[in-house]
Amino acid sequence: MFRPLVVVLGMVCIARPVWSEEAVRFSRDILPILSENCLSCHGQDESHRKGELRLDVREAAVKKSAILPGNPEESEIIKRIVSSDTEEVMPPPKSHKAKLSEAQVETLKRWIREGAVWGKHWAFEPPLKAFSEGHPIDYFVQKNLQVLSILPSPEAPKHTLLRRLSLDLTGLPPTPKELESFLKDASSSAWETVVQRLLRSKHYGERMAMWWLDAARYSDTDGFQSDATRSNWPWRDWVVDAFNRNMPYDRFTLEQFAGDLLPNATEDQKLATCFHRNHMTNGEGGRDPEESRVDYVIDRVNTVGTTWLGLTLGCTQCHSHKFDPISHSDYYSLTAFFNSIDEDGKAGTAAKPYLSYKSPLAEPTLSESQALVEERKPKETSARKAAEAPFEAWLAQRRLETSQGWQSWIVLRATSLQTAEGTQLTQEPDGAVQSSGPNPNQDEYRFNAKFSAKRITGLRLEVLPNETHTHGALSRGATGDFILTDLKLQVRSIGNSQVRDILLTDAVADAMSDKKTNGGYGDVKDTLDDDPRNGWTTKGFNNTHAHIAVYALAEPLTCGDDDELVIELRQRSTLGDSNIGRFRLSVTAEAGDAIHGTDKTPREELAEINKIQGPDSKLRARLFGEFLADHSPYQESKIALDRANRQLTESRLATGTLNVMVLAERKEPRRTYVLQRGVWDKHGQEVHPDVPAAIAPWLEEEERTRIGLARWITSTRNPLTARVAVNHLWQMLFGIGLVRTTEDFGLQGERPSHPELLDWLAVDLMEHGWDIKHTLALITTSATYRQNSAASPSLMKRDPDNRLLARGSRFRLPSWMLRDAALQASGLLNTAVGGPPVRPYQPEGVWEELFMGRFKYEPSEGSAQYRRTLYAFWRRSIAPTFLFDSAQRRSCEVRNGRTNTPLQALTLLNDSTFMEAARELARQMINLPEPERFPHLYRNTLSRTPTQEEHSVLQRELDKALAYYDSHKDEAKKLLQFGQKIPEPGTDICSLAAHTLIASMTLNLDEGMTHE
Amino acid sequence: MNADPYSASRRYFLGQCTGVSLGSMALSTLLCRAASEPPVETKQGLPSLPHFAPKAKRVIFLTQSGGPSQIELFDHKPGLEKFAGTELPDSVRQGQRLTTMTANQKQLIKPAATRFEKCGRSGATVSEWLPHLKSVVDDICFIKSMYTDQINHAPAMTQFLTGNQIPGRPSLGAWASYGLGSENQNLPDYLVLLSKMQRPSDQPLYDHYWGSGFLPSRYQGVKLRNAKDPVLYLRDPDGLPRHLRRGMLDGISDLNEMHLSTMGDPEIATRIRQYEMAYRMQSSVPELTDLSDEKEEVFELYGPDSRRPGSYAANCILARRLIERGVRFVQLFHPDWDHHSRLTSWCTARCRDTDQPSAALITDLKRRGLLDDTLVIWGGEFGRGVAGQGKWDSPEAGRDHHPRCFTMWLAGGGAKAGYTHGETDDFSYNVTKDGVHVHDLHATILHLMGIDHERFTFRHQGLDFRLTGVDASKVVRQLLG
Repeated sequence: MFRPLVVVLGMVCIARPVWSEEAVRFSRDILPILSENCLSCHGQDESHRKGELRLDVREAAVKKSAILPGNPEESEIIKRIVSSDTEEVMPPPKSHKAKLSEAQVETLKRWIREGAVWGKHWAFEPPLKAFSEGHPIDYFVQKNLQVLSILPSPEAPKHTLLRRLSLDLTGLPPTPKELESFLKDASSSAWETVVQRLLRSKHYGERMAMWWLDAARYSDTDGFQSDATRSNWPWRDWVVDAFNRNMPYDRFTLEQFAGDLLPNATEDQKLATCFHRNHMTNGEGGRDPEESRVDYVIDRVNTVGTTWLGLTLGCTQCHSHKFDPISHSDYYSLTAFFNSIDEDGKAGTAAKPYLSYKSPLAEPTLSESQALVEERKPKETSARKAAEAPFEAWLAQRRLETSQGWQSWIVLRATSLQTAEGTQLTQEPDGAVQSSGPNPNQDEYRFNAKFSAKRITGLRLEVLPNETHTHGALSRGATGDFILTDLKLQVRSIGNSQVRDILLTDAVADAMSDKKTNGGYGDVKDTLDDDPRNGWTTKGFNNTHAHIAVYALAEPLTCGDDDELVIELRQRSTLGDSNIGRFRLSVTAEAGDAIHGTDKTPREELAEINKIQGPDSKLRARLFGEFLADHSPYQESKIALDRANRQLTESRLATGTLNVMVLAERKEPRRTYVLQRGVWDKHGQEVHPDVPAAIAPWLEEEERTRIGLARWITSTRNPLTARVAVNHLWQMLFGIGLVRTTEDFGLQGERPSHPELLDWLAVDLMEHGWDIKHTLALITTSATYRQNSAASPSLMKRDPDNRLLARGSRFRLPSWMLRDAALQASGLLNTAVGGPPVRPYQPEGVWEELFMGRFKYEPSEGSAQYRRTLYAFWRRSIAPTFLFDSAQRRSCEVRNGRTNTPLQALTLLNDSTFMEAARELARQMINLPEPERFPHLYRNTLSRTPTQEEHSVLQRELDKALAYYDSHKDEAKKLLQFGQKIPEPGTDICSLAAHTLIASMTLNLDEGMTHE
Repeated sequence: MNADPYSASRRYFLGQCTGVSLGSMALSTLLCRAASEPPVETKQGLPSLPHFAPKAKRVIFLTQSGGPSQIELFDHKPGLEKFAGTELPDSVRQGQRLTTMTANQKQLIKPAATRFEKCGRSGATVSEWLPHLKSVVDDICFIKSMYTDQINHAPAMTQFLTGNQIPGRPSLGAWASYGLGSENQNLPDYLVLLSKMQRPSDQPLYDHYWGSGFLPSRYQGVKLRNAKDPVLYLRDPDGLPRHLRRGMLDGISDLNEMHLSTMGDPEIATRIRQYEMAYRMQSSVPELTDLSDEKEEVFELYGPDSRRPGSYAANCILARRLIERGVRFVQLFHPDWDHHSRLTSWCTARCRDTDQPSAALITDLKRRGLLDDTLVIWGGEFGRGVAGQGKWDSPEAGRDHHPRCFTMWLAGGGAKAGYTHGETDDFSYNVTKDGVHVHDLHATILHLMGIDHERFTFRHQGLDFRLTGVDASKVVRQLLG
């Protein structure tokens, strides 16, 4: 939920009393006061400066006597702040800023008395470990709470704690068994034991990877217009593995920045550099590849800024930073590190440099896919076999039917004929439609017909010559040739004002010109795409003969007697003057070869030879093909097998050698320039690889390469990196970072709620060799972390966002975790680690809509469906639909929104994954004795058992559902017909349906979707 | 921005203030709870808005994606014929950047591939390719002097809709929804309708075009799909009757209320309300998208394509239905106006898709008395250049992107009817009079909605952001009726 920022600012500005035992620190104690109250009029921005006074630079303030070091009483700044004269007092009343508190004034005075020692913005000062005793986290948090006279909350119930910890460290809720063993463990080390167990889990790396992939803008496609698929997923597995091995964060950084440059670089070290190739790539026509290349370099620098340094470097792309001490040329000096990659700005399969890589983790997917094919193949074979008997009966009938001759195609009679531009059309007795009268440059013919057959599988268009046409050919246009740009088939039911588009999937013709030499016109398939820049013509072929096109419907059309067919022949070619002169339309009800060729249909052939003998083996095969195309028991197993085969093909590709985008230097380094106003080809002064000195000076022993850059970033002299890293971890566990603006530690970011704690953790991380697991263990073993998240109304009012940490944090889990939790709770989860991406359920047609059919989404089948969300295929232009509030993976994101919308409710109620999980839970429930059912459901989904009151509500709704389904068995069946685990025969489906609803209800409870 | 419409629930405060545990207090009533729906609450915008009385209470934005050719459609240049095939003078081009598609070819002038007519009492020039629009020109305010900073589709469209070429800013519709809220409690405030096309479109319509950027995400546009589920996940599974869904929601709500009483987190109250809204949307959205109650003459007015669900024409009817239901901002997208080649087959195809329905929408709104306070906006992200792309005199020639001038139109909602604003040079290349930058257009649209664009800000990462950005932009007074 969105909370107003104003509240936040107010919160953070709660006066920090200066601890008497410590000296005043400029960055912590003074700059916030100046920045909040003074600098908007007395800062670096000249255009808003009042009284020519600057308070952001010591010399200026001293020169103007605003600050007299050692003499607070005489300093103008103090006099004005404490003045009671409304004309004199600062900040002035009309600025609507509150009067400074006594504590703030005291702090200022003390600072001036102590010499007004100046300093930098807090984040640019090196972090220091302040004094602490006991658990450092609890020490700093409680020190603050004591001052505010707020008591910390008691420890949360054990089941809540385990659930919180399991979700935080592995992204999965505890299993009932894990829950039981933790509840039983009364030893004093029970908590430490479980923390260590979870940090050792292979799911730990997956959970951490989800964080890192958002920052890395990882995706399985390029993005932009063509959005081509890439195969960078081995890098994702590298990340999981790095976290699981607890690779130190400095090493983790180094390998991703410069794995390729390390001495004797291993494959995996090269693979690591894919981090800096996860940006979008743009293959848009008309775009200069050099412009794209520059974009990628800039994207890398911005990502480094956001992820490691917590700085909005993007601002300095066009001009020097308005707030932070980063100049325009600092920025481009940073780009120089990434400017000589051996890349040329291309996308798709031309996005070099690549690493040829074979993933050891692809193999299990292959065997899974293979098993699925093995399972389905015999089913298809036996279905084919089983079809032979009914085929014989069918064939006998066909032979009888065709014994007196056969016509597969039935000519359509028009009920009305219309044209858009004025051509006159008349239908003649043989069904041919003749044009006459005006001969416009372009036209559309609209042929309306009563539906004369019960079923239609195909449509045939004959284009006919006539002596009234030019040269007695096919058109009245200048050359006598025709161009059909598009053909549309629609159905309109009587009394219905709307029409239905009928999908045509195939078109064949007896003659087609070469489209390359005919201005794009030739191929009859191009009449299916509603694009007038291409279409069908037979130009170059004999144009005094009839030509035929046959269209196949995607599925047989069956309608009532009153339905009307509308067939549109669009002739909208660029040159025009080639409208069809005469044509005839027919339909057929036959499947198979009849609608995929222009020759005689199998049945017509049968009719011819029928009298003499039975069909020969070739014709039998054609007829069997027709029979199978219509035989639904066979089609079911065929479609299932085809899908398994497609999945297998994909898996095979994944086990082969993959091209993973990585970093590699080109031989000739490029020169790097400042880009004026950030425009890619507006070169300013030349720059060389360097870092912003205001953050930390370059490490002189290092070469100016990506290796050096990585070492500078993780150097203990860099004041930002460790702070930013621990803040990320804190955000992961508490929902909000100690610095709320995870992406911005600069002057415009928020100051930390607990600066000493942040610094302590940052220093501690570096002292422990950048050991991430160490920091996580430290935080999760604090009493602060283990507090109950319930809030009294007064505490909620005082601290709605829990910045004071007087209670446990309560926030909605990320949507990916909700999906994983549902899979885990229901036992569906496939716990395999790594491998090629999978496709979880999502509603039909979402890719097709965006790309108008260019990409088709087929959910994975078999156990691949139940992999963790980390492995879900990520199409950059349309993220998985079941993920709400997730990062977009277009650019680096380190802080996700958290909203609460009706669309989320709909997703969790109706998404197939959640419904399938509910059905699985229901299946388990109905196999248990009644009293154990609700407890089982609650233990799996909420890690506890229901109270008596909750039990009553569950029972109330279950009774309603049972009452309904017991008398509506068909509805129960319908409810359960989805996904893969369709109930087996013999299941009590009424009970299963009713329990499915109760399980779905439980998966939709606030408690279940919340970190609490 | 303190006015978060979602405050803690009444029951929560009841439970807390009286010191009685809700669970025990309410249990008896919960068990015999009737399947009644909770009362509807009003969703309001910011208390400070509108700044002044709005002329336009609602907006329909007919977004034409790809860059329609102003040269073929509106910006008649009768003198171009005599320059046909000659090189565009440098004095006109003034270093204008080109896309790589034409950067290496000579810029040879290609006159309009179409004829023009002066129409209506106002005498506006409209192309023969837009015969229906001619009949409503007196209701229209044409802006011939639009200009933008971007030359490629995605950045230009992003700027056109969010004010900045980099994705991540809120869309115009999201700003409107955030500022003004909705008059309809059963539908989102901002809805997006995409034309269903048969071929893969060359310019994907990214969802950041209707995104909420840094505004809370509930203000983002909700895309109505042309599918079984007009909104993703809207439809309950088969075999789940309405009364059982109601029961489930009652159960969820009761269990969540119990939890709220122990945890005290107002977010739980919000969740309860959002589940109820979801339930209401399950009836309100299908009712909205089912056109079977529209009269036959409506389809005749909007043209034959309006009978085809998902077409631009059908979406125009839907837009009118949404406006009737009080939805604040409706945005249509029609793709494939990117006519690099073959104007006579490709550009005309888009004209046929959109001409009759766009004109019908104006007529329809007007006769229903809705045009006065509904602003209709028509336009794309940029225009097209005067030079031919490909061989200039071949019918297969087209035009490259052009940011320096393009034409848009407004109708209703306080826009000056029967007026043409701004002028371009003899080559439809540079604005010569009354240029309107995309930001000026945004400022003017907000003004018509009763909002002062300079005072309408959102604080994000320590900065006050506004739709019209930091550079000076202005309300174009001449466009106001």
